[in-house]
Amino acid sequence: MNNGTAVVLIVEDSPIIRMSAVDLVLSAGYEALEAGDADEAIRILESRDDIDLVFTDVQMPGTMDGIKLSHYIRDRWPPVKLIVASGADIVDESMLPGGSRFFSKPYDELTITETMAHLLSNEDPYAVVV
Amino acid sequence: MPLLPTAHFESASTLAVVMSSNEPLLFLSDDLSIIVASASFCRAFQIDPESVPGKRIDELGNGEWSMPRLASLLKATASGSASIDAYEIELKRPNQKTRQLVVNARTLDDGDLDHIRLLLAITDVTEMRAETRLKDDLIRDKAMLLQEVQHRVANSLQIIASVLMQSARRVQSEEVRGHLHNARHRIMSIAELQRQLSTSVGGRVELRAYFTQLCQSLGASMIADPERLSIEVKVDDSTVIADVSISLGLIVTELVINALKHAFADERSGTIVIDYRSSGKDWTLIVSDNGIGMPVGDEAPKAGLGTGIVEALVKNMNGEISLSSAAPGTVVTISHRDTSGLQTDISSAA
Repeated sequence: MNNGTAVVLIVEDSPIIRMSAVDLVLSAGYEALEAGDADEAIRILESRDDIDLVFTDVQMPGTMDGIKLSHYIRDRWPPVKLIVASGADIVDESMLPGGSRFFSKPYDELTITETMAHLLSNEDPYAVVV
Repeated sequence: MPLLPTAHFESASTLAVVMSSNEPLLFLSDDLSIIVASASFCRAFQIDPESVPGKRIDELGNGEWSMPRLASLLKATASGSASIDAYEIELKRPNQKTRQLVVNARTLDDGDLDHIRLLLAITDVTEMRAETRLKDDLIRDKAMLLQEVQHRVANSLQIIASVLMQSARRVQSEEVRGHLHNARHRIMSIAELQRQLSTSVGGRVELRAYFTQLCQSLGASMIADPERLSIEVKVDDSTVIADVSISLGLIVTELVINALKHAFADERSGTIVIDYRSSGKDWTLIVSDNGIGMPVGDEAPKAGLGTGIVEALVKNMNGEISLSSAAPGTVVTISHRDTSGLQTDISSAA
C-alpha cells in the first residue's frame, strides 16, 4: 500500500500484454509496477515493501516460471496476494499457493479487476487461508 | 539280425513343412536336439544349415542359444507342465547388436505319445520395437508441439483482446467503445473454442460445455447484476467439428450480446435461453429472451454488423433463420434440415 493506494506488480514477458495489464491496473485505481520475468519481479519485491498483489504470467524466460514464482513469493512475502494467468490451459489452482487465483488467457479484464478488488479487500475469505 | 534300438524317423512331409516355413522355426526332440531347422531360421540367425543336424539347441552357432531359462521352459513344455506363449528373450552375439526375440513353443500334437517333439517359433521383434519407440517419441513430440501452438494462439488472442480493451478505455465515444467491446467478445468466443478444442477428442467439440463457458464469459463481462439477468444453456449431448462450432459459437455470441443490450432496457430483469438439439444431420439452435421484444416496422433498428455476421454464418451452414415474438420477448430460431437424404429417396423411387 502506498499512500492508501494498493500496489500491483505485473510480471509478463510479452511487452504488449504487459502494457495493457499496466493500463488495466491503473484504470482500476491501483499503482502499477512491471517486470519482464521472475528474476526482475523478485528484485522489485526485495527493493520495496509496499507491494500488495502480484499478477503473473506462467510461461516466461528466466530461472522461474510463474508457478514457481508464486510459491517463492508466498514463502518469502506471505501477505502478498497472487493472480496467475496462462495461455496453457493445464494449470490447476491446486498447483498454486493457497488463496491464489488462476485465469487462462485470454482473460476477461473485468474478471481480473474484480478479483483484484476482492483479494485486496479485507473481506476476502482466502486471505486467512495462508 | 540283432535288434537295433528303434530309431524314430519323421515323415518327409513334416520335415519339408518345417524347412520351408517362412517364420523361423526349430523342430526339436524332447531332449532339445534339433531334428530340423527352417531355412528361414538359419538365414535370420546366421547358422550354417549343414551344421544343424544332431546338435542340441545350446550347441547351435557359437553357443549363443545356450540360455538356461529357455532350455528349462522348453523342457517344461515337453513334459506338458508349461507352455511358452510370446516369451521374450535377448539373443546376444559377439560384435553384433543384441536382438530382441519373441518365442512360442508347442508340442507337436500328432498322437505319438512316445516321441514328444517341440515346435519352437522365433520372431525377431528388434526392428518392430525400435519403430514403436520412434512412433511413441513422435507422438510425444507432436503433443508438445500442439501444446506450444495452443499456448501461442492463446497469447496472441490475449494481445489482441488487451489492445482492444486498452483502446476502449481511451475512447470518448460511447458508440465506439461499444464496438470495441463487441469485437473483444468475438475474440473471446474464438478463444473459448480454442480452449475447448485443446481438451477435445478427435477435434470434436462438445457444444454444451462450449456454450456454457461462452455464456459464462459473456455474462462475466456484460452482466453487472447477475440477480437481474441470467443466461441459461440447454444443450443436448451433441458434438460438432471445429469449423461448425466456430460458426455456432459466433452466432450465439452475437445473439446473446444483442439480447443483453436491447431486450432488458430500463432495469428489466429476465433470462436468455440458449437451446440446441440435433437429430442425425438436422439441428436447431434457439436463442430466446423474455425481454421487451423486437420493435417492428419503422421502429426496427437498422441491421448492424452483428446481424450481418449471423446471417452470413447461417447461410454458410445451409440453415434458416426465423424471428418471432414470444410475449414477452423474442425468439430467434436457426435450423438446418438435411436434404441430401431426401433427394436420394426421390431418385430411388423414380
